[in-house]
Amino acid sequence: MAAPVRAATAPRRTLPLLGRVAAVVARRVLLLAVLLAAVFAAVELLPGDAATATSERGESAADVAARRQLLGLDRPVWERFGEWMTALPTGDLGTSARGQKVTDLLADPFPNTLLLAGCAFLLTVAAALALGCWAAARPGRPADRIIGHAATSAFAVPEFVISVGLLLVLSLWTGWLPAVTLTGADGDPATWTMLIMPVLALVIPQTGWNTTIVRGALADQAAAPHVEAARLDGLPTRRIILRHALPGAVPAIATGFATSTGMLLGGTVVVEALFNYPGIGGVLASAVASRDTPLIAGVVICGGAAISLVLLAADLIRARVLGARP
Amino acid sequence: MDFTRRQVLWAGGAIGTAALLAACSGGGTSAEPAATGGKPKKGGTLRIGALGRAGAITRDPHGTQGNESDYLVLALVYDTLTVPGAKPNTLPRLAASWEPSKDLKTWRFTLAKGAVFHDGSPVTAEDVVWSLRRLRGTPSGAARLPGIKAENIKAEGADTVVLISDYANAELPLLTRLTTFVLKKDTPDSALEKAPGTGPFTLDWYRGGNARLVRNDSWYGGTVLLDAIEVTMFETPQAMANALLAGQIDVASNAGAVAARTAESRKDIQVVRRPNDMSMPLVMRTASGPFADARVREALRLVVDREAMVKQVLSGYGTVANDIMGTGDPHYAKDIPQRERDLAKAKQLLTEAEFDLSRTYDLVTTEDISGLAESATLFAAQAREAGIKIRVVKQESGAFYEKTWLKGDLYTSYWGTNDSVVFFASKTLVSEAGQNEAGFADKDFDASYRKVIGTADEKARATALRELQQIEFDRSGYLLWGMADGIDLAAAKVQGLPTLAGYGRVQLENVWLR
Repeated sequence: MAAPVRAATAPRRTLPLLGRVAAVVARRVLLLAVLLAAVFAAVELLPGDAATATSERGESAADVAARRQLLGLDRPVWERFGEWMTALPTGDLGTSARGQKVTDLLADPFPNTLLLAGCAFLLTVAAALALGCWAAARPGRPADRIIGHAATSAFAVPEFVISVGLLLVLSLWTGWLPAVTLTGADGDPATWTMLIMPVLALVIPQTGWNTTIVRGALADQAAAPHVEAARLDGLPTRRIILRHALPGAVPAIATGFATSTGMLLGGTVVVEALFNYPGIGGVLASAVASRDTPLIAGVVICGGAAISLVLLAADLIRARVLGARP
Repeated sequence: MDFTRRQVLWAGGAIGTAALLAACSGGGTSAEPAATGGKPKKGGTLRIGALGRAGAITRDPHGTQGNESDYLVLALVYDTLTVPGAKPNTLPRLAASWEPSKDLKTWRFTLAKGAVFHDGSPVTAEDVVWSLRRLRGTPSGAARLPGIKAENIKAEGADTVVLISDYANAELPLLTRLTTFVLKKDTPDSALEKAPGTGPFTLDWYRGGNARLVRNDSWYGGTVLLDAIEVTMFETPQAMANALLAGQIDVASNAGAVAARTAESRKDIQVVRRPNDMSMPLVMRTASGPFADARVREALRLVVDREAMVKQVLSGYGTVANDIMGTGDPHYAKDIPQRERDLAKAKQLLTEAEFDLSRTYDLVTTEDISGLAESATLFAAQAREAGIKIRVVKQESGAFYEKTWLKGDLYTSYWGTNDSVVFFASKTLVSEAGQNEAGFADKDFDASYRKVIGTADEKARATALRELQQIEFDRSGYLLWGMADGIDLAAAKVQGLPTLAGYGRVQLENVWLR
C-alpha cells in the first residue's frame, strides 16, 4: 500500500500542501472503495451465504429462502454493494445477518482494538528506534550482531507462538498477570494489566521487523557525505546518529512503521482470540464464519480507515523530509 | 425446538443411571447437583464463562441464537414453560402442570402460581400466548413448535394456555422446553434488551456478550442461593480454560474434552461430565444408493470399533452407543444387546448383498463440532480392515447443508437433543419427517411411531416404543457408535452444578459457593 507514495510526492512538490493531502486522501479513499468491492465479491465466492449460515437446523428450505429475501441476498451483489456504499457517508454500516446494527456491534470492539494496536504501535516505534540506533552506534560489534539476529528471529516467530509462551510464563506458571481479558459493564478491559500480554505479543515481532529497517536505513545514511563529514569532524557517535544520520533515514523508517500498522491490525485477530480480548478480530472471525457481508465490510472500513490514516501520516512525513532535502 | 447449526446444539437431555431425582427446592424443576459439599449456603457471585462470538450476538429471546453465552443469559432471565429433567425428561417450570385431551391433540398448560415478571406484574395466559405466537412467527418457528399453528395457541382464563396440535402428539410438552421464553404481552422489539422476564435472575447489565445478573428474590420456583452471576463470553474453549486455570472465572461451561484433559491433573478443578450430551451418527442413505440394502448397513455397523472411537475421537469422554438415537431417554431400550465389532459377519453380509468392494465410497463430513471429522477418518480406517474403501470428504458447513445433508449417501451428522427416542423418531426417522436424514421409510416403524405418539396408556405405549427401537437397531440409516459427554470445568468451591446434558447445563438456580 505504500507504493503510490513515491509518485504522489516528488513530481508534485509544487502543489500546495493542502492539495497534496487532498490528492493522497482521494487516492486512499478510492483504494478503500475498491477493497470493499473486493470484500463483497469475495464473500459471494465463499460457499454458502448468510441465510444458510445463520439458519437453524430445523428450518425448511422455504424458511431459508424467506430469510434470504429478508436479508436482501436474493438481489445481485452489486446492488447490495451500491446500497451499502450510499449509506456509508451517513455513518450507517448496515445491519448484521442476525439483525443487529453493525455500528452497535463495532462500537466497543473497534476502540478496544485501536487501544491495543495503538499501544503496541507506540511501543514498537520506541523499541525499534532505540534498538536500531543502539546497534547502528556499534556497527559490526557483538551488540550489533546480537540485535540483528534477535530482530530477525523475533519477526520470524508467529504471534500465536509468542502469545502461548507469554501466557505460560507470565500467567499460568507464575500467576503474575491475568490470563485473559475480562470486560466490565463499560465494555473496556477490567484492569490495565490485561493489556500487557496482548500488547507484548504484538510488539515483539513488529519490533524485530522495524529494528531491522531502522538499522538498515541508518547504515545507508552512514555512507552519506554529510554523515561522513560529521564523523571526520570527530563528533561523538551518539550525536552523529541522532542529529546527522537519523533525519535522513526518517522516510524509510516511517514507511516501515506504516507497513507495521497493517500487520499489527492483522495480528490482533490472532492475539485477541488467544487472550479473549474484546476487539474487532473476534467480530471479523465470526462475521466471516456467518458470511455476514455488512459486518465484514464494517470491520474492513474501520481497519482500513485506521491504516489509511497512518499511511497518510507516513506520506506526509516523507513528503516533508524529501521536500526539505531535494 | 431450537437448533443452531454451527454451535454445539442446545438441547435437553437426561442423564442415565447415575442420575438421581434431584431434591430440588420449591418448584422441583431443576437439575441434580453434581457434587455435594455440605449444606447449601447463600451468597456469593458465580463467574461463569460460556462460548460465543462477538459477531453473532443476539438479544432476542426468540431469535436465532448462535452463542451459548447469549442463550445462558436468556435462560437465566426468562423462563420456558417446561425444562429438561432426568426422569421424566420434561419437568414443570412456568407451566406448573399440563393435561392432554383424549386424542392427544389439545394440551392445557396451567401456569405456576405466584409467577411474576421482574417488574412485579403477574404472568397471565395472555403473556404466554403472545410470546408463543411471537416464537411461532420467527423464521424457524415451524421447527420450534412443530404442528402447532399460531392461531391454535390460545388463552383460557387467566392461568391456562391451550395448544392444539395438528396431529396427536404425546410428546408435545417436550417441545416447550427450549425456546418458549415468556415476555410481557406486546413487548416492542425496541425494548427487548431490557424486557423483564420471570426467571431466577434479573439482568443487571449486558454489554458485548458479557453480562451480570442478580438474584430474583421473588422467584416462584424456589430459593436462589447465589447473589449474582457474571457471564463472560469466550471465543475459544482454550481461552476459557486458561481463564479458569488462572482463577479468573469459576466455571467454564461446555469447555470440551481437550480442556478437560488439561485440567485433569489439577486437583483444584472439578471436571463435571454430563453424559449423552452429543450424538455424532453416521448417516447411511436407505432410500437409494449403495447403502439402500439393509444388510450393507448392518455390515457397516458391525465394522465400527466403538470402544476405539470413544477412546480416540472423544478422548474417552463418552460412552459406547447401540445405533438407537435418543440414548438419554428414560425409556431407552437398554435390553437390546450391545452390537459389537464382527468383521467376519460383516464380510459375509456384504457378500450376500453383492456390495461392490472395488469402489471407493465418499464419507462427507464437516468441522462444525470438534471430533466430527476425526470420527469420519477413524471410521474410514476401521472400514478398510473389512475391505471397504472409504474416502473422507470434508465440506465447509454451508456447502454441506446445501449439498449433502438430507441427500448424501454417507455422511456424518450431529444432534444435541438426546434424551428422547420419540424426538428422533418424529424428526428424522418417520417417513414423512422434515429432516429425514437417511430417507428412511419403513412401514413397521411408522406404525410403531403412530402407536407411540397416539397412545395414552403407558404400558401399550412402552411396548410400541420398544418395537420402534428394535426396528431402529435392526435397519435404520443410523450408525451411532457413541455419545459424547458434555464437559464443564469448575473451581472446587462451586457446588450444585447441573449434570444434565445439553441445554440442562444452563440451570444454575441451585448452584452455591462453598
